This record gives sequence, C-alpha cells and structure tokens, in this order.
Amino acid sequence: MLQAAIILKLWKASMMQAMEYRGSFAFSIIANFFDFIFGFLQYLVFFTAAQSIAGWNSDQMLVLYGVFMLVFALQFIFLYPNLVAMGDMVNSGNLDLLLTKPVNAQLILSFRRISFEELGSISTALVLLGWLTVKGAINLTPASVALFLVAIVAAMLLIYCLFLLLMCLAVFLERLDNMAQLMWSMFSLCRYPVDVYPARLRFMFFSFLPVAYIASVPASALLGTASAAQVMTGMIIALTATFATTLLWRRTIRAYTSAGG
Amino acid sequence: MIQSKISQSFSAHLATLRAHFKIIFTYRGMMLIQAVRLLLLPLVLAAAWLSIEKTAENPYSDADYLLYYLLVPVILNLTDSRLVFRFPMAVRDGSLSRELLKPFPPLSGYALESIANNLIQLVYLLPFTLLAGYAISDRLQLSHINLQLLLFMVLAIMLGGLVRMLISGSISLVGFWLEDVTTLNLILNGGIWALLGGMIVPVATFPQHIRYIAELLPYRYMLSFPIEIVTGRLSQAQILQGFAVCLFWSLLFALIMRLIWKRGLKVYAAYGG
Repeated sequence: MLQAAIILKLWKASMMQAMEYRGSFAFSIIANFFDFIFGFLQYLVFFTAAQSIAGWNSDQMLVLYGVFMLVFALQFIFLYPNLVAMGDMVNSGNLDLLLTKPVNAQLILSFRRISFEELGSISTALVLLGWLTVKGAINLTPASVALFLVAIVAAMLLIYCLFLLLMCLAVFLERLDNMAQLMWSMFSLCRYPVDVYPARLRFMFFSFLPVAYIASVPASALLGTASAAQVMTGMIIALTATFATTLLWRRTIRAYTSAGG
Repeated sequence: MIQSKISQSFSAHLATLRAHFKIIFTYRGMMLIQAVRLLLLPLVLAAAWLSIEKTAENPYSDADYLLYYLLVPVILNLTDSRLVFRFPMAVRDGSLSRELLKPFPPLSGYALESIANNLIQLVYLLPFTLLAGYAISDRLQLSHINLQLLLFMVLAIMLGGLVRMLISGSISLVGFWLEDVTTLNLILNGGIWALLGGMIVPVATFPQHIRYIAELLPYRYMLSFPIEIVTGRLSQAQILQGFAVCLFWSLLFALIMRLIWKRGLKVYAAYGG
C-alpha cells in the first residue's frame, strides 16, 4: 500500500515536470500522432502490392496494427521513461542511494516515471479498433473480449520481463545506452503476424522467445480466431517469465558492487 | 596558390575523417546495437513478403524479394545520414560555436563523421549479409550480375547518400530557428521515406501510378534504386534517367542548404556551452 502511494506521488511529480515544458510536450504529442498516421499508411501501401499476408487480409492487419499500437503506447507510457532513466541511475551512483531506502527497489525503479506523450496513440489506436468494429471487421462477443483482456495482460507482463532483463543488463554492464533502441527493435518483430515466419522460428516465437503473445495473439483473440488454450498458454509463459526475471533481478542486485559516483 | 589551398583542404578533410574513424571505433558496443536494429526490420519484411498473396501486377518473385531485403540493411546504412541528429545537438549544447571558430567548415566535419560511422558499421553488417546470402544462395538469382551493374550500384549508393545527406542537412539547418526539428524530420525524412523509398514495399512492385510518384521523389534513390539496379530489371535508359532525377534533387537541396546556412548563421546566437 505504502509502495503504491509512493509511486502515485512520483507519477504526480513526473506529470508536473512534463507540464513545465508545455511546448515540447505538445510537440511530442504531434510527433506521435504523425508516427501513428505513417504506421497506418504503411499498411495501406503494403496492400497495394499484396492481397493478403499469411492468411491475414487488410482489415485483419489493421486490427493487428491497432492492438500493436495499444501495447506499444502502454509500454511507452509506463516503462520507457524508466528504462531511459536507468542508465543514468547506474552511471551517476543514484542507484546506490535508492537501494539503501526502505522501499521495494524493483517496483520503484520500474514505475518511478510516467510519460503521457503517447496518450494520443492510445486514443488513436482505440478509435481505429472502434472503427473496425463498426465496420464489421471485429465481431465482439463476451468470450472474445475476455480472451483479449487476458491476452493483453499477458503481453504487458512479457514486455515487463524484457524491460527487467534490460535493467539487469544495465546494472551488470554498469553502462548501457540506447537500451530503448534494443527494446524497440524487438517490437519490429511484432508488427506483422507471427504466421509469416518459417515453422521453426514460429515455434520459438510461441515458446522461448514469446514474441507471438505480444501482438499477434491478442489481435487474433479480438478477431475470434485464437483458442482459449493458446491465450492461456501465453498467460502461463508470461507469469513464469515474470517470476524468473524477478529472481534474476534480485540476484543481479545482490551481486551489484556500486558503480560511478 | 589555389592548387595548394585545395590540397590543404583535402588533407584536412582526410585527417578529420581518419580522426572520426578512431573516435567511432571506440564505441563499438553502440554499433552492435545499431546493427541489430538495421538487420531486424528487413528480416521481418522479407519474411512478410515471402508469405504474401501477391496482386496480379506485382512483378517480383521470391528470389527478387530475398535479394532485395538481403541488400536493404547495407544500402540503408550506407546512405544514412546522422546530420539531422548531430547538428541540432551542436546548436543546443553550444559546441557549434567552437566549431565555427576552427578553420574548417563545421558542416563538412559533421558529414565526415556520418560517413565514417556508416563505413565502420559495415564491419558488423557485411559478415552477416554474406553469411545470410550464403545460407539462401540456392534461392537467389545472381547470374545476371556483371561488373557494369555493380559499378552503377556503387555510383547509385554514393548519389543516394549525397541526396539524403543534403535533405537531412537542410532539415537540420532549420534548427537555427526551431529548437526541435525531429517532427519535421519524421515527416520529410522518416515517414515518406519509409513509405515511398522502398523500405516497406520495393518501389518496383508498386501499382503504376504510385510508382510514378515514387520515382519522381528523391526517396527512392536512397534505398530502392541501388538494389533495383542489381536485380537487373532496369534498362540502361531507366538507370540513367534515375541518375538524372537524383542529381536534380542533389543540386536543388545543395542550393537550399547553402541558402539556409547563410541566413541561419546570421540569426545564430550562441547559448549553452
């Protein structure tokens, strides 16, 4: 409870900080909006030379894009600013300071900051999904909505695992710039359905490298083509991975012998 | 007199390039991350294009797509320009003021830094490209490639790099007036480039009317054009026509850049440092 209160206070602080630079805040919202539009145009352009891709037609691909943007924007709001701050924390020695405080370091480090620059993308993604529902590309049923929600939670957990892995790497290497770049590279794997990859790679993406559960599975859950077993497998993998990476984080912190200063 | 000045300037440029090589090489780790970024998206796109159901007018076969996306990371890297990130940073942190005092054109310095960066990146990219090419060698068609095509490709890469650098440069020089040029860059350089330059969709596979627009815009020459030459689907006339369009854009943006630079320096007042 106390931890949650602290995080809420920190969020408020980072919001106030963002509001100090209103000009640049407005600018980045516009930039993100264009980013969304160009991402959207990419699919339209893609389908000038293709009819369907691995069995997904253009409407279904747009559903995938909407879900992808939703997941991407969520990680951008909650995780990305913390990832950027982490390299600095280790380098400047502020990490040592935080570790001595009576708080859960993992929680605070993961959710210390929040960035609202991608709020625009969330709303545009929701508008896109809403429009596709009205258009009839998405057929909402209670079952598909429930599966979709479970799949989205699993997707966020998996991204959190990747985030935590990169945080461990930052502590371990004592310096790691461009971590966000590594994370975004991974996202380019999710822009197209996993069905496009060769069988062996696809198997990996459904198991050891669970890329499939980040956008493809939630999107097919929304489209009603995912089985409950598939979504549940994703959830189990996500929970296991969260547990494993948390353990890894604890070990990394135990082995940490301070850096910078 | 003039001759000695030219040779002096040339050796200064060469020395700067060499210095940048050394500086960049100390940041090898960063280059590796950059390499992952350069390789991953073309891989994803190649997988996507191999599993599509094509439209009737799409001329590319699987072999074409494989060759295309095998070369994309290399061309993408070689024609890349960091000027648009580098220059606004120099304005903001004040290092431009220092550069201006040196008897060496600052823009050349940033351009050389960018070139050195792109060349060193090949150390990571080429081994991977050769390995990947070997792995899929039975699915590639390379028999039509001859020396002339390769020379055309090298020329096209150099021109493409030039036009991208000039456009990036023009955008970044707007940084004299605007504090943040990333949005402008995102639209003019990133977005349209990704759509019509041949990243997502090879330009040759567009429907007629879109292809026509793409061939007139400068973006095709930064990525798609050099690869189109290698695929051997362009006639000599088409290749020369491409060079002409690319040269036109280079000259235009060289003029624009010069104009902005002269105007911008007058309004530039240093801050930071």
